[in-house]
Amino acid sequence: MEDLHVKQQISSYIIQSQEEEIKRIALELHEGVGQNLYSILTGLQVVESAIKEQQLKKYVREMESLIEKTIQEIRLLSVELHPPALTTLGLLPAVKSYIKLYTSTFGILVDLESTGEEKLIPEQNRIAVFRVCQEALANIAKYADTSNVKIYFVWNKEELTITIQDFGKGFQVEEHIENHHSYGLAAMMERMHLTGGQCTISSKIGEGTSIELSLPL
Amino acid sequence: MIAIKEIQAVTNLCSGVMAAVHSEFVALAIQNESGPDVRWHYAAGNLNDKYKRITVRFGKGIAGKVISSGSPMMMTNFPHDILGKVTDYPIALAEKLVASYAVPLFFNAVPKGVLLVGKREKYSFTEEEQEVVKDSAQSLEQILKEHLL
Repeated sequence: MEDLHVKQQISSYIIQSQEEEIKRIALELHEGVGQNLYSILTGLQVVESAIKEQQLKKYVREMESLIEKTIQEIRLLSVELHPPALTTLGLLPAVKSYIKLYTSTFGILVDLESTGEEKLIPEQNRIAVFRVCQEALANIAKYADTSNVKIYFVWNKEELTITIQDFGKGFQVEEHIENHHSYGLAAMMERMHLTGGQCTISSKIGEGTSIELSLPL
Repeated sequence: MIAIKEIQAVTNLCSGVMAAVHSEFVALAIQNESGPDVRWHYAAGNLNDKYKRITVRFGKGIAGKVISSGSPMMMTNFPHDILGKVTDYPIALAEKLVASYAVPLFFNAVPKGVLLVGKREKYSFTEEEQEVVKDSAQSLEQILKEHLL
């Protein structure tokens, strides 16, 4: 029992260290590299306006366009790694922001409904729940063969429950977990377990998969 | 601006290249007139309409890499032997493509579009098939230049 507790603490520590590093990289990309590129873009726009020669002007414009694309990719990469909203605005705005990126990346429509009053969650748990939602959505893009996903957030006094439902092809949950086909699913469950919450996965072939997360508040 | 999917010459050319290389899917992505976004404007042989909502990420996936490098790219057995993560290849996931070959479309000497052909089984596009796709991309550049620029 004691051993299990120590193992859980070590897992929490490893996850937390990784998350801090991811957050640092995301921030560095967004605030550092991204801002520098933006300054270069503004500088190039000034240079372009001063150039009279058309061919050279066109060349500078293409460079501006390349920098614009790079800035956009850096911004998206940063949101994927650690959305700024997760620290500043909370779990729900961060999930909403990620959903927009998810639809424009995979073409899968996500309908999100939230009932009850949103409550403040400690950052470590907020990140854990966000990562589990991210993993669930990535799995849907990879395996579910669906165009629609529904996410329900229900805020109660003592608990937040999140249900992620796809309407895809479904799979045999027990078989997958027992045969170690998916460490991803086991990691989702473990991550929720470490927050004191739970992750329940149910699926029916031909009807889709439902993932229910619960987090004590 | 006329929608690309409504240009008959484009749809004819895409259907032609699809038949010529015996592919099950063909799609055309073009950079928006304003801003850096690249989107799939036309597809044939598609299983769903996800392609309409996908914005190609610069440097990611087959189309993103083709646009950032300006060079053709082939995948023969997705998701095996790929660079990066499976989720970096949204069009392959959305359309269940196992093999694909994509070439850039140049406008004013800058890669701003992609012509992609795909199959839902393991396959390596032959030199001749690659040439057909490249030739079609050049023809598309001419057609789109007249309509879009």
